[in-house]
Amino acid sequence: MHLPVSLLSLCFLTLASLSAASQAAQDRATTFFTSNAQHSPSGSGHTNNWAVLVCTSRYWFNYRHMANALGMYRTVKRLGIPDSNIILMLSDDAACNTRNKFPGCVFASAGGKAGKDSSSLDLYGDNIEVDYRGYEVTVENFLRVLTGRVPPSLPRSKRLLTNDRSNIFIYMTGHGGNEFLKFQDDEEISAFDIADAFEQMWQKKRYNEILFMIDTCQANTMYSKFYSPNILATGSSELDEKSYSFENDNDLGIAVIDSFTHYVLQFMENINKTSQ
Amino acid sequence: MLGGRYLKIGLILNLCTTLTLGHILNEDFHETLDLRPLPDGRLLSAFSFTTLLKEAIPRDPETLGSEDETQHYTLFPLALGQVLREYAVTELHMSLNAGKWDYDRWGYPEDPGVGTGAELWAYMGDSSAVSVDARWRGLRNALAGLFCASLGSLDDQRTTSPSLTFRPEGSFPQWTSASNHQLRHATLPSENVCTENLTPFLKLLPCKGLSGIASLLNPHRLFDSDWHGLSVHVRYLRDHGVEVRLNFQAVSDPVRYSVHGKRDWSLSSVFDRTIHSSCRVASSSMIRVARPTEKTAVVSPEPPSKSEDYAIFDLSDTATPLDISMQWQDESKFIYPLASSSSPLTPISVQRTLKGSIQSQGRLSVVITNHLPITIQTSYLETMPWLLQFYLHSLRTYHNGISRDDLVSIVSYTPPVPHLRPTLFQAVLTLPPKGTLHLSMDVMKPFLRYTEHPPDAERGWNLPPAVFVPLISNTTSSSKVASELNVADVDFRRLSRRIYTPVLLVDLATPDFSMPYNVIIMSCTLIALIFGSVFNLLTRKFVVVRVNQDSKPATRSPVPELKN
Repeated sequence: MHLPVSLLSLCFLTLASLSAASQAAQDRATTFFTSNAQHSPSGSGHTNNWAVLVCTSRYWFNYRHMANALGMYRTVKRLGIPDSNIILMLSDDAACNTRNKFPGCVFASAGGKAGKDSSSLDLYGDNIEVDYRGYEVTVENFLRVLTGRVPPSLPRSKRLLTNDRSNIFIYMTGHGGNEFLKFQDDEEISAFDIADAFEQMWQKKRYNEILFMIDTCQANTMYSKFYSPNILATGSSELDEKSYSFENDNDLGIAVIDSFTHYVLQFMENINKTSQ
Repeated sequence: MLGGRYLKIGLILNLCTTLTLGHILNEDFHETLDLRPLPDGRLLSAFSFTTLLKEAIPRDPETLGSEDETQHYTLFPLALGQVLREYAVTELHMSLNAGKWDYDRWGYPEDPGVGTGAELWAYMGDSSAVSVDARWRGLRNALAGLFCASLGSLDDQRTTSPSLTFRPEGSFPQWTSASNHQLRHATLPSENVCTENLTPFLKLLPCKGLSGIASLLNPHRLFDSDWHGLSVHVRYLRDHGVEVRLNFQAVSDPVRYSVHGKRDWSLSSVFDRTIHSSCRVASSSMIRVARPTEKTAVVSPEPPSKSEDYAIFDLSDTATPLDISMQWQDESKFIYPLASSSSPLTPISVQRTLKGSIQSQGRLSVVITNHLPITIQTSYLETMPWLLQFYLHSLRTYHNGISRDDLVSIVSYTPPVPHLRPTLFQAVLTLPPKGTLHLSMDVMKPFLRYTEHPPDAERGWNLPPAVFVPLISNTTSSSKVASELNVADVDFRRLSRRIYTPVLLVDLATPDFSMPYNVIIMSCTLIALIFGSVFNLLTRKFVVVRVNQDSKPATRSPVPELKN
């Protein structure tokens, strides 16, 4: 239950430090917390947590996007959201890719298994459930998952079964630009699409609060069109800014994590289930 | 007195519960691990976990409209059992494999379903309540959700019914005298297998990968192997019940891990784990280590029971932690055997290739070699998606350079319907003794619609493997067969198992995906320029405005005004 508060407080900090109009943002965030603090002292009247983690790029050189999504997956699972409440969408297979020198492992920091000090954490591990993978990660499937308009044969593990007391953490990463995000080099989702999907979710009472986090180039433009209440959004870069990767791994030969996500994960490492 | 009365009530309640809540069935769980060193220095490990639900019968599909009777399982996997009852499935086989199984070097696998990618086939009974196709769709999606695989895309464009090759491995219950079973089969050759498929597999086991033989399943080592595959088999055995068999096979390379290039292996070197405790609910828990042809290999620890060919360890009376190892003590470095010096491990060898690089020309070529000194027949199955269409009239067969069309007899052919249905081609080939048959057939590669291309369209499409089943019957020349294959005794049933060819990759013409954007930009530009010019030509008129000379010049602007 303390997870969204920790994440929300992180985003409060991020917002406060990034934006020029930080005072105005701070006031907005404060009103966000206080207005929802009717039912419980933690500040929000939710009863269950869900997470939707989407990595939209395929191919081996986009390993860092899959590491981003998997880093968030590990954090969210460690802090208490079970696999049945997490929808993980990975566009490509990085861990069992034939180019991967460390089979079955995805690392978020350089050094990998070569350094026996095991400071790099294997994000794939032994226990993972990927709900949408490969060609199934499309704009249509993403919007259907959010709005709940799915065919009757879709299995339960692929559905977002939220209600009006659910707090949802939605994390997207990939290549993007001014008000769009590219899905697998093939199609794009625009900021208007996501804003409309959230409005449908609000109308159908499918969320209590949403935390929207996005790590792409010009990420903040993606949430500029939201018009539904109770959404807190944060991104890695402003309009006309690019987001950069953090470090390269010489054994794997590609970048392993993006800067924004790296610092978010570093902050989250200090949070556990009992943090305030 | 009071306690006695409560005890009696308790006993009566217990009995009523047993009678009213449906059957409580007996279950049996066995686990085995077969370790077989292969001639090229590799090690085949085949895990098999079998749960038998005694006296259970698959659900009658006619009852699908009404509520099912309650099922109680303790060892039988609940998630899988619910899926089977929901869609009234009698027999189910699903496999997820990665790599190419080399029949020439490794022989037959323990589990015959080694086609690369995902393969799913099921026998379901006819029903007037819910059709077989609707249940097939539900079954695919339910298994996709259960095993985190993209089986939902095994739709009508990949589903066929090849009942000659995929015969049922169990029996069919006779609910009524007129009940009939149908086969549905589909493959997805481009499917990846990774830890997310192994995780739910382990969760279906009673001991969940924590103890017993399943604790050896380490994804970091298994997915590093040269070939790996997991499979689920459900079948009904009359007089026994419903049996679920979960298999995992892997071909690992100990020579690659070894510092000195030796082929010695142990459980900790191959799986990076040892067995710490046995699974308490297993009725039997056995590890069988096959002895290689060189009798100099030493198995340690000393096996409690052994036969001529196997060292057998029973986990219930072996000391744990158990780490079995095999060492070739008189070998300093492994030398790979020459291919020509070894006797064939399978009766036939098959090679399938796709020739012709341009869009309009293509030829599918199949080369089958018969290693036995007798004439044998083999069935040949192709379930090709509509992306590659056969010109069946161009099928040519050559043996020793002579055209022998009598050696191929086509049993059934279902032509493809573009965008709807794949090809189903079943034939029986007659192979002369020690002969090689060359088949070739022209194929057509169609143009796809713009929306049908996958996101990585330039890669091409994977084509499913062809399946061969050598039809070797119990003939009198079993001694000749045995001497050829260099075995003491020939088991004809084991020789007649399915052989899968590797998958092919076909390159279809891809459009320029940036064209719609280019067309829009260019047409908008042209329209703007043309419309703008024409509009100006039609409506704009230049006129000269005379400026009056005698009026006050200071207040007038020196530039003549233009009237529009």
